[in-house]
Amino acid sequence: MRFRAVFGFLGFLLVLFVALPILRMFWGAEGDQLLEAAAQAEVRSAIFLTLRASLWATLLALFLGIPLAYLLARLDFKGKQLIEGLIDLPVVIPHTAAGIALLLVWGRHSLFSRATSWTMAGTEAGITLAMLFVSLPFLVNGAKEGFRLVDVRLENTARTLGATPFQAFWTVSLPLAKKSILSGAIMMWARGISEFGAVVILAYHPLTAPVLIFERFQNFGLRSATPVAVLLLLLSLLVIVFLRAVVERR
Amino acid sequence: MIRLVNVSKNFRDFQLVNISLEIKSGEYFIILGPSGAGKTLILELLAGLLQPDEGRIEGLSTRKVALIYQDYMLFPHLNVQENIGYGLRFRKLSLDERLAKLKAIARELQIEHLLHRQVTTLSGGEKQRVAIARALILQPEVLLLDEPTAALDYGARRQVQQLFARLHRKYRRTFIHVTHDFEEALALGERIALLFKGRIIQQGEPQDVFRRPANREVADFLGYKNVFSGRIENHRLELNGLAIFTPVARAARAHLAIRSNEIIISRRRIQSSARNSFRGRIKEIYPHLNTVEVVVDVGVELAVDITPQSYQEMGLAEGDQVFVTFKTTSVRVFEY
Repeated sequence: MRFRAVFGFLGFLLVLFVALPILRMFWGAEGDQLLEAAAQAEVRSAIFLTLRASLWATLLALFLGIPLAYLLARLDFKGKQLIEGLIDLPVVIPHTAAGIALLLVWGRHSLFSRATSWTMAGTEAGITLAMLFVSLPFLVNGAKEGFRLVDVRLENTARTLGATPFQAFWTVSLPLAKKSILSGAIMMWARGISEFGAVVILAYHPLTAPVLIFERFQNFGLRSATPVAVLLLLLSLLVIVFLRAVVERR
Repeated sequence: MIRLVNVSKNFRDFQLVNISLEIKSGEYFIILGPSGAGKTLILELLAGLLQPDEGRIEGLSTRKVALIYQDYMLFPHLNVQENIGYGLRFRKLSLDERLAKLKAIARELQIEHLLHRQVTTLSGGEKQRVAIARALILQPEVLLLDEPTAALDYGARRQVQQLFARLHRKYRRTFIHVTHDFEEALALGERIALLFKGRIIQQGEPQDVFRRPANREVADFLGYKNVFSGRIENHRLELNGLAIFTPVARAARAHLAIRSNEIIISRRRIQSSARNSFRGRIKEIYPHLNTVEVVVDVGVELAVDITPQSYQEMGLAEGDQVFVTFKTTSVRVFEY
């Protein structure tokens, strides 16, 4: 019992460390300030833009990341560790550095911009790209673990029963890895919402919620930034809790 | 006729080397070998899931092959009916035809009552039947069975072995069954091949293979408990002052194997035509399910398997003096 009590106490300290600032923020937010912030078009637009861009990034990662995750889980090939390292890289580099790297490839003076006369800088597409870049490890790694847990002999069995490799993937591996993929997608989406560093460099405008919070804090102080932060947090929390419940039930 | 001609395959850290086999149409063929011998790899090559690095496989269309893995590999996200009907999705059949096939195979395997169950709730024997139904519903010409009874308890294993024998008699398809259990191989196989460390060591009819193990490793694997090495001169092999009569006149170096169930144990020396009879003391006694193993020290240790009934009637105990007797023809000589 003493063992559990000690572990419980140590765990409680960590939970408290996370919960305290959040609770303090809720405590500091007054109801009428929240309502006032929610009524502002700029706040609503920033929050919905954030949720939307992160959703686009997640959908794009699902489309491109699932095939990659499947191959990484199933095949051994030269350069695999390099690819896995590259996928993990956005987690370890400062996101402002990631923003600069993205700006060099997708910004106004990049090769891409000169070749197509388009630029991602200052656009919703740019925000989506920044969110995709920094948060895709969550989805790819989640999906990879999911596929790794599916016994390859299940796919082999499907193939001997007449399925093509793609049919075996679609009817066996994908449904069995679904939970891990969806968990990874939720994590990615949530991480995308919170992204500030890369977004602020590639696309300061249109304002996402984290950038708006930063701007208000810089220009008007804590009282102006807190209601927006609380609103974003509440909405994100609601959606994540709901999605997690849906995934767990499946 | 399925022919594997000089097939070699490197897979991860494992090698199949120069495998040549001929399996007749409609035959019950057993590939017997210890774990890690490469048995599953041969099945995956036959199923077309892997391609040989060298050599070729003839007489086999992968569309007509079904593979059943050791752990059944039922799809856990589908129920029993969906599992059995899985392969029919890829065939042009009407819904009525699919249902008719499904009902027929479920009746054949006596699993009609399981059709709406989730596969995770089934027992090992039930899972095995569902896996067989899922394969047979496609009417394959060749059924590949990967250690199909290894995960079952004793009772269920017997039932599944009987089921395979019955299905083989009824459908007369080619069954290629891999196992590490030589009693199963003896019970089911029309011909067997012994696979050790990625190589076929021996093939033939089961009794032949069991009577004449090709080398010491095979003899150990086939359950020969008494394997000795030495030099044979004038039909005799000298071991610790003991002379064992052998059917071979002379060999520079040889291994001898004596099956433990071909040795007679007695309280008194018996008068018989058997050339080998030795006095010794019982060193250890190990009761098994259907036999009792008595280890007798006659200068070397000889394991003798007797029935529990004989053991009780003779009242044997450790330390007792006894005689052991066996014929010269019970001595297998190999690798000389």
